Formats: sequence, C-alpha cells, structure tokens
Amino acid sequence: MHMKHVELLTAKQVERVHEAALWVLENVGILAHHAPAREVFKAHGCSVDLDGLVKFPPEVVAKYLQICPTSFTFHGRDPQYDRTIPDCGPVVVTGSSAPNVVDPATGVERRATSTDIANIAHLINELKGFDIFSISTLADDAPPGQFSLSRFYPALKNCLKPVRSNTPDMDDLRQVIRLGELIAGGADAYRERPVINHHYCPMVSPLTMDVDSTEAVMYLTERGLPVYTTVVPNAGLTSPMTLMGTLIVGNAEFLAITVFQQMVREGTPIIYASLPTVADMRTGAYAPGAIETGMLCMAQAQLGHFYNVPTGGYIGLTNAHSNDAQSGYETGMNTLGAVLAGATLLNMGGLFSSLMAFDFGKAVVDDEIALMNKRVVRGLEFSEDNLALEVIAQAGPGGDFMKSKHTKSLMKTTALFPKVADRGMRAQWEAAGRPDAQSRARAVARGILSQPNSAVWAPELDAQIRAEFPGLIAGEATWVEAEGDA
Amino acid sequence: MGNEATYEQLKQSIVDQDEDAVLEAVNKALAEGVDPRDVINNGLLPGLNVIGEQFECEDIFLPELMQAALAFQAAMTVLEPKIKEAGGAEQKKGTIVIGTVKGDLHSIGKNILKLLFETSGFEVHDLGIDVDLFKFIDKANEVNADIIAISALLTTTLIGQRDVIDALKDQGTRDKYKVIVGGGATTKEWADSIGADGWSGSAYDAVVLAGKLVS
Repeated sequence: MHMKHVELLTAKQVERVHEAALWVLENVGILAHHAPAREVFKAHGCSVDLDGLVKFPPEVVAKYLQICPTSFTFHGRDPQYDRTIPDCGPVVVTGSSAPNVVDPATGVERRATSTDIANIAHLINELKGFDIFSISTLADDAPPGQFSLSRFYPALKNCLKPVRSNTPDMDDLRQVIRLGELIAGGADAYRERPVINHHYCPMVSPLTMDVDSTEAVMYLTERGLPVYTTVVPNAGLTSPMTLMGTLIVGNAEFLAITVFQQMVREGTPIIYASLPTVADMRTGAYAPGAIETGMLCMAQAQLGHFYNVPTGGYIGLTNAHSNDAQSGYETGMNTLGAVLAGATLLNMGGLFSSLMAFDFGKAVVDDEIALMNKRVVRGLEFSEDNLALEVIAQAGPGGDFMKSKHTKSLMKTTALFPKVADRGMRAQWEAAGRPDAQSRARAVARGILSQPNSAVWAPELDAQIRAEFPGLIAGEATWVEAEGDA
Repeated sequence: MGNEATYEQLKQSIVDQDEDAVLEAVNKALAEGVDPRDVINNGLLPGLNVIGEQFECEDIFLPELMQAALAFQAAMTVLEPKIKEAGGAEQKKGTIVIGTVKGDLHSIGKNILKLLFETSGFEVHDLGIDVDLFKFIDKANEVNADIIAISALLTTTLIGQRDVIDALKDQGTRDKYKVIVGGGATTKEWADSIGADGWSGSAYDAVVLAGKLVS
C-alpha cells in the first residue's frame, strides 16, 4: 500500500503544464547541435530547419511518450543490490563528479584521486541508506587517456551496488563499456546485466541539445544499454523567473529527450530526472540547496505520475561548505519534500559547495537522512493488528507498555535507530567532549573504512582487467587515519 | 564647466538602468556640444560606479547590474564613432579572448563577464561555447590579446582549461598572455594548480582582476 502523495498542483494544472510544454515544443522548438540527432528527429516526424531547430508536432510527442516503459532498473555487481524504480523507491544515490574531496586525514579540501574514489566506494557499499554509487569525484591522478577508467575502475572494484556515472567523450565511453564487459564475463553477459548505469545531461537549458552527451546517449540507447538523462533549468538565468515557467521549460526538455530516446530505440527505459534550481538573483549564484529546488522536484514527481514514468533527480544537494546546520536543513527538507510527493530517485549524498567537494562525514549524515526518508515512505503501516487494541486494553489506564511482549517483538523494527543523531543526556554529551554531528559521522566512516573491504573482486579478474588496460591506477581502498582520530 | 545638470542626467539614467533615458541624455549632451569623452567620463562612468557600489551591497541584483551595463553599451555605440570622428583614440584597457571550454555549452556566466569586460573598457573577442584549445590560442595570437579568459561549468570538461595552458607552454608562448579561469566548476586552488594567472568567483571580481593583470 503506497502512502498518499503530497500534490502541489491540481490535476487540471498538471494537464495545463503538459499542454504548455507541448506548445513550447511545437512553436519554440529545441536546438539540436548533434547532426545525427537532427536526422533522427527528421526521420520520425519532427521538422528540422538548417540551423538544427527541431519542432515537434504534438501527435509525435504523444506517440513516443506512450511507448515509454514505466520503470527503470539499475544493476549492481551483486544482483541482490539491483534496484528498480518506482517500486523500490526511494532509491538513494550519491552526488557525483565533484572535482574535490575534503581530505579525511587533514580536513583540508584538495583535488580528489582514484584512491579517494576507492574509499568512497567502500563506504557507500556499507552504508545501508545508499542504493547506488554515482561516482562522487573525479580522479586527478588519472593517467593520460584514462580519465573515466580511473573513476569507474576503483568504483566498480570496491562496490557491489549499482555504479552510475558519465563520460566526457566516445573514447572514454567505449573504454568504460569494455571494462564492464570484462567484469560481466563477456559482451553478451554484460548486455544481460549491464553493471554500469550511464547518466548524461544532453539537454542544456534553455531548450538546447549538446553534441558530446547527445552522442553518448544515442550510442547507448541504440545498443540497449541503460542510460538516463537529467534536465537542469535554472530560473532567472536559463528559464523564466517563475516556478511554473521553469517547470514548463524543464518538462519540454524532458519530453524532447525522452521522445528522442524512444525514436532511437522504442521501449527504452527512462527516468524523469531533473535538477531544477532558482538562481540567487542577488549575484546570479547557483543554488541547488534552495527550497524551490525541492518544490520543483515535487511538481515534477506529479508530472511523472501523470506520464507514468519514474521521477527524481539531484535533490538534497547543498550550498554549504561544511557539515553544518545549512547542510542538514537543505538536504533534509528538500529530500523529504521529494519523497512525500512520490519522487523515487534521490541523487543526494556526500557533496558540499554545490557539487564541488565530497566529504566522508557528509555522506554518513546523508545516509541517515536517506534512512529517515525511507522510514517515511514505509509509512504508518496501517493494519488491524497494528491498531494494538488488545495491548491497549491489557495495559489499561495508568499501565505501561514496556513490559509487554508486544513491545519486545516490535521494538527493533518500528522506529529507525540513527547512528549520528545523539539522544543521550546533556551531561553524557559533555563528558564525551561535546562531539558534534560531523565528528560523530566521521567516526562512523572511520569504523567502516578501517575494516577490509569484502566487495573487492577476485584477483584473477583484476589481473585480466589490468592486462587489458596497461598503466591503470591501483584502485584500492586505503584509509589514512587522521591525527588524533585513532 | 557648466554641464553639471547634463552630467547628472547622464549619471542618473545609468543608475536608473534605463536604456532609453541613457540614449536620450547622450543625444541631448551631444546636441549641447558636450565632448563625447566627457559624456563618458563625467556622466556615464560615475553612474556605473554607483551601480557597482549598489551591487556590492546587494541594493541591486544581477539583472539590474546587467541592464545598466547594457544601457552603457548602447550609449557607447553612439559615442565611439563620434570620438573616432574627432580623431580621438579609443581608450582601451586591454584585449581579451574569452570562451567556454571544449565539450561545454554553458554560456551565461561567460556572457555576463563579456558584457562587464566591455563595459569596463576592454576589447573582447568572444569565441562562444565548446571552444577547441587551439582556437583560443590562434585567436589570442591574431588579435594580440593581453588576456585569455576560459570558462567551465562542467567538472568533467574542466581539464580543458589546463590543456590551453599546457599547449601555450608547449608552444613557448605562455608568457605572452595572462590566462584567467572561472566558472562554476573552478576554484582558486584549481587555478593555482594549473598555473593560471588568476581566478575569480564572480564576474564582477573578474573585471577587477583583469584590470590588475593589464596594469
């Protein structure tokens, strides 16, 4: 039984947003920079002018929209971690591709390396709130020609959960797919269970399709490999200064890329994923932690229900530069809004400074926020049994419930037990040296990362991969203790 | 003097971010026989100074700063030919080649900066988006640029900034230009690590930075 979803728009308003997006696609159009993409649009009923402006007749959009699958599956190295949305939702994903990491030993922000990716993969593999590891950082130590390999190899090697990320060009994409085939045990086996889940942002707001990401999406879609996209309108800069106008630009972009993928290969699974923001017009600053991002994500979840496709996106990011109150309320409030509205994919974990830096403590706090959100979705668990009338009668007025068998049988499952949140008395907290949430979170990360990683694959497979890609980085999780942490 | 009222009107029209009023005030001043250079230096630029101060203390927002800059630019299209006619040399602070790195189509930050550079007296050559590294270098060579300014929003294409600097080094022309980097994916540490001559977190500060680099 699913809980009732929060709806910010009426059914009529949702229909109007859909119509408005169709109007944009028919009358304003989408500028497609990638020539083969223009050909796809032209061959399937769109008009395309010499500059690459694509216009979509509403019946063409309707035709391809209706053949969209209603679910999307992420595959992990271990099938027990496969996740299908919307049914397994909310599925929680790390934030991705930050150039920097907060050094776990020194606390100083620096360029991230492949070793950081290995450590993060190990951590995410163990944190129960996370379902998918979207490769959190870049690898500054990547050898020439192995930019993406230096990210995917340590990620996949150290994590059994589905791994997700992007590649900057076709050479990198082919290399990464080859890595996936080696892991799966051949091209056919990989097609059966593609353990790499690709993601791109081919739509550049407003209403433009790029070259490189479009090419990658087309290549993967043609081959039936999993790939989904995110639309990223930014109110006041790349979309109108109203939430409704921004919703419509994003919806038109979603429809365009979705129709495109169906034209390339009918029945391709998709996700209505987005990162809608409202620019801080005082300076033009990017504000993914703004409450309006959550509101737009909620509205997009409604549209996703209207189209019967899974929804979500980058929700729960923060502008904060440390694991402080801002970091907590921006991630917490926005993700809660999204799950209440029925979004089932949350790209939320581990990043500070608007996707610029990964922090191990932040990932642990976000794991806890993710578990809280999942608890909300589990709901009140209405059942006749759960009304507990007999137990109420047994205890009677003035009685207590602590000694009842009923309590004992349910005390470990009714409520979530947070690892970071402190529920002790103030005196105990003071005696412990007044640890804040960040230091408690870092202790959790330390506890996990100081243990060996059982997710690492067999030495034979590793040797095979290393033989195929000479000069590959080590990709091993090696945790360095901070001074005073031990 | 005696042109105080005219200068005040010019200044106020910029402060009001009103392009029509700016053009009206400029044409009126020219009709009154005011030297076009005085129109700029005693009227329009003091207006822009006020705008800059208001922006810094958040009395006005980015779109208002942009509108004032656009109004100033509109005035310059009238004033520049007059200055040339009179045989006056353009006062140019320096020449800048600007663009967004290869693989990246994001242009808004770059366009804001371009406008502010132009408003501040730089000659700007905009190469647009998705710019190949050699296009930066060839253009800089062609226009004898002082500064190459490279924008990047996507973290995965960020290395395009380093590629330009490395290519300049390979060609032995690194010292010919100041290279500045910026955009959502960049940090000061990144700029330092790739050997850039400067970095700025905002378009407004980038103009100050460029001014220092050419002085």
